[in-house]
Amino acid sequence: MWATPARAVGTLALFVVVAGGAVLMILPFYWMLMTALSPAPDVLAFPPRWIPSRLTPEHFGVAWAKAAWLTYYGNSLVVAGVSVGCSLVLGLFAGYAFAVYRFPLQHVLFVLILSTLMVPVQVTSVALYILLSRIGWVDTYAGILAPNFASAFGVFLLRQGIRAIPVELVEAARIDGAGEVRIVLTIVAPLVRTSLATVAMILFLGSWNDFLWPVIVINSPDLRTIPVAMALFKDPYGNINYGPLMAAAVISTGPMLVAYALSQKYMIRGIALTGLKG
Amino acid sequence: MPRPLRRTVARLHARRVWHAYAFVAPVVILFGLFRVVPSVQTLLYSVYRVELVRGRFTFVGAENFRELVADAAFRHAAWNTLVYVLVIVPVSAALGLLFAVLFDAEFPLRELFKAVYFAPMVTSTVAAAAVWWWLYNPQFGLFNVLLRAVGLPIQPWLMSTRTALWSIILFGIWKGLGYNMVIYLAGLQAIPGTFLEAARIDGAGPLQRFRRISFPLLAPTTTFLLIYNSIQAFQVFDQVYVLTGGGPAGATNVVVLDLYRQAFERYNFGYAAAEATVLFVLILAVTAVQYAYSRRFEVAY
Repeated sequence: MWATPARAVGTLALFVVVAGGAVLMILPFYWMLMTALSPAPDVLAFPPRWIPSRLTPEHFGVAWAKAAWLTYYGNSLVVAGVSVGCSLVLGLFAGYAFAVYRFPLQHVLFVLILSTLMVPVQVTSVALYILLSRIGWVDTYAGILAPNFASAFGVFLLRQGIRAIPVELVEAARIDGAGEVRIVLTIVAPLVRTSLATVAMILFLGSWNDFLWPVIVINSPDLRTIPVAMALFKDPYGNINYGPLMAAAVISTGPMLVAYALSQKYMIRGIALTGLKG
Repeated sequence: MPRPLRRTVARLHARRVWHAYAFVAPVVILFGLFRVVPSVQTLLYSVYRVELVRGRFTFVGAENFRELVADAAFRHAAWNTLVYVLVIVPVSAALGLLFAVLFDAEFPLRELFKAVYFAPMVTSTVAAAAVWWWLYNPQFGLFNVLLRAVGLPIQPWLMSTRTALWSIILFGIWKGLGYNMVIYLAGLQAIPGTFLEAARIDGAGPLQRFRRISFPLLAPTTTFLLIYNSIQAFQVFDQVYVLTGGGPAGATNVVVLDLYRQAFERYNFGYAAAEATVLFVLILAVTAVQYAYSRRFEVAY
């Protein structure tokens, strides 16, 4: 890497450009954290205080008292957990069927499932809301989950994974008398665990950060997910208490950023492989 | 020992019709009910006046669309959305390509920097936008504080009709740059090294190698990113909702925000369905055009 002086200069220049870009990219995160941890007078100081005069949890106290964050965390976890769990199980069986069997309408059904990727919830929300209001699902967990019980992207990725499994494994299990459900759960599932993990990660991230559909379908404070709570915490016309607001942003994003820091290589690869969002 | 060609389940082709239907039925039913039917119904409702509380649906023909065209607020929102798409899609892809080329070289802390560039992608848009709302504060926000510190004129950012949409675009570029970069990086690393090596031996410089070899071979990646960025950009909502709520004076109002307000604040469902239909047609058209157009430049290798 440092073979010749010219090379070294080139690498240094590259490093400076990329590092400069990285500073700009990380600046909002840094400022969020510093504002959240600074004492109130530091927040509005000029010139800006890059390092707070002292660290204080006072803004977190205010943010924590103003909103029921534990409830919102619980809601986000329930919604993401059920959505990911259902999508994985249903996607595994459907993916197996599309990979292994031949049946009438197979192609039509597969294309139908994939075609839903072309129509985002932004487009379907009007009719979906009307439908849910008729069956009494508005302002319920079921309502938030309705469009996310299954994932077209999950079906597709799991089908791809299952198609690559050696046929002998499935045939041997059949000769041993294993039923199809048992084959899927005990033979196929462990073999496609990488695909399952990738699908789970992407769906969880999508559900965790989803805003538009939950804000449409939720009215009760008790059902708010984290992004909905965060948007209301900021409230469109005011809340210039930037310290508590940034503390709320830290509360909203902290766990996901920690998870990302711990597994960034894997998460970047998974997202890059597949394109975000089902 | 030479192994026989490995057979995979893709070639198993069992005929177990009942198992097959039982396994795909849950997905098909859920998708039919909550995705396919609402898609079709949205198109249908666009020619109705919907009064949900009374349960009354009145056929009005093209009335909703006529109103849309006549509605200055919607035209403004459509124009803003178009500007947003036309700026953010090529700029994100170009910056992504630039940084992908930089990251394709070896330098210290490369993986750490890559993770930093990608971090906004995994962050909730709502929370990130709340942070940027603070950074954009005209008096105390970090951006103006920094401008003041180096003696540059401060900006009104979200407060002025002249700069608000650009501020939202800037946020969008920050949010999506890492994704564009990582996708391009994967494309670059898939190019066979022998191609670039052969060009180097023939005397092609780095710029020429990029223009004549890397860039044309990245055409499928470029197509994918342009389509992906466009679809995402047409749906822009979260950051506008948080940063400006569509203001000032409609300067950052976008189609999905207008649709949201019409449907879920004013209960004009038919009108909102017409907006959704326009959005759907736009997304479909842009996707089809970009796909057809860029396929002509694709190179097989």
